[in-house]
Amino acid sequence: MDEKTLDIIISRYEAPAGRLLGIMGEIQNQEGYIPRETLEILSVKLEVPLSQLYGLATFYSFFSLKPVGDHVITVCMGTACHVKGAVKILKALEEMLGIKSEASEDGKFSITTEDKKFTLEIARCFGACSMAPVLRVDGNLYGYATPENLPGILAEYGWERHEN
Amino acid sequence: MTHEEVSSMGTAAKLVTVTINGKKYGADEDEILLSVAVREKIAIPHLCYEASLDPYGACRLCMVEVVRHGKREMVTSCTTRVTDGLEVVTDGPEVVKHRSILFELYLAEAPKSEVIKAMAARYGVTKTRFLKKIDTTDSLGNKCILCGLCVRACNELMGAGAIGFVNRGPYTVVNTPYFEASRDCLGCGACVKVCPTNAVEMEDQKNERIMKSWSNTRVPLAQCDCCGRYYAPKALAATILARVTPSLKEEIARCCPECRGKLIAKKEILAKTGGAR
Ligand code: SF4
Ligand code: FES
Ligand code: FES
Repeated sequence: MDEKTLDIIISRYEAPAGRLLGIMGEIQNQEGYIPRETLEILSVKLEVPLSQLYGLATFYSFFSLKPVGDHVITVCMGTACHVKGAVKILKALEEMLGIKSEASEDGKFSITTEDKKFTLEIARCFGACSMAPVLRVDGNLYGYATPENLPGILAEYGWERHEN
Repeated sequence: MTHEEVSSMGTAAKLVTVTINGKKYGADEDEILLSVAVREKIAIPHLCYEASLDPYGACRLCMVEVVRHGKREMVTSCTTRVTDGLEVVTDGPEVVKHRSILFELYLAEAPKSEVIKAMAARYGVTKTRFLKKIDTTDSLGNKCILCGLCVRACNELMGAGAIGFVNRGPYTVVNTPYFEASRDCLGCGACVKVCPTNAVEMEDQKNERIMKSWSNTRVPLAQCDCCGRYYAPKALAATILARVTPSLKEEIARCCPECRGKLIAKKEILAKTGGAR
């Protein structure tokens, strides 16, 4: 992110309360992740230690430190969705995208396909439990998901089955 | 020391009487309950209390029972300030139960900490039912209880902000941003000093100080012009120099504290004797 854009974002947050999260939220939205240089510049501009910003970035699942793909798929792993088969949905998605989930160091779950088209993430309860299991693609919510209706959903985002 | 004796010393603060385990003790009003207990040699286990920082109440080990307005409640003694007539019980059954569970949790959270093992054993806890957290790559040697004292000393006392909490929940650790050597670290070692479980590792090697726990951050040490030994991190010396009067600067900038003492003494003797030996 260039410095001018960052300055504009910063200028929108005058009050100290919620300032850091607000600014970092906008960076996340615009870039799709929090680039390291941006976080470092922000630390200098706001005179906040980088350790504090890094702490926030790694605490909230909303922030990502790695670039994400063109489309972000978030699978709800909350209680209701879990009971209704979220694990099966996640496994099916992994299989469709050809990626494998593994426990990461930071406990955040986020994997991006090699062609950078899709990122698969998990979250806890979207508050849409009545439609469990639920997933979200770029902000659009899909309920009553089954491994069978996933290809239809992902096709809307340009997914094609690769025969291998 | 009795209440009267303390009063006769003429301290400015208002004096109050508190009852701890049935015995009466004098204390300054608004004094921290834990520090009253420590002074009176009443054992209350505690890990995260650090007098140079504001009370925070992170470890929960210093729980006691107090009676206020006729009601019993459990409070952390490091965040409770004494008022007149306060009644305290430090080893009632509820406190003991609470403590034992906490010790078990800490034995699992920081299984390699000798400090915790010894403290828990003193209160009769030698085993834990919880799964011990063993991570061979942990830069804090499986001794950290995440009390945050090092983070706060670095931030609030030193103004460096080199380390912080990273991640969340069971994945939380203390370290530098991006797990890389820190540019903000002064190498002061305040973190080492405040850590209640001796988890933070640091080592001086010749002209460098290595903060092993903090992603092996290396800081250069300043050399004494007089005796040649390496005595303090350069960055720390610079921060301190910025705060002292110019007339003292030169001696401080050049020599280690020991040589500085000798140098100043020599100067004074010379001044008094008019330069004659
Ligand atoms: S390293 Fe020591 S002082 Fe820092 S959080 Fe862990 S236990 Fe507390
Ligand atoms: S548990 Fe998935 S929406 Fe609530
Ligand atoms: S010493 Fe009181 S909570 Fe840790």
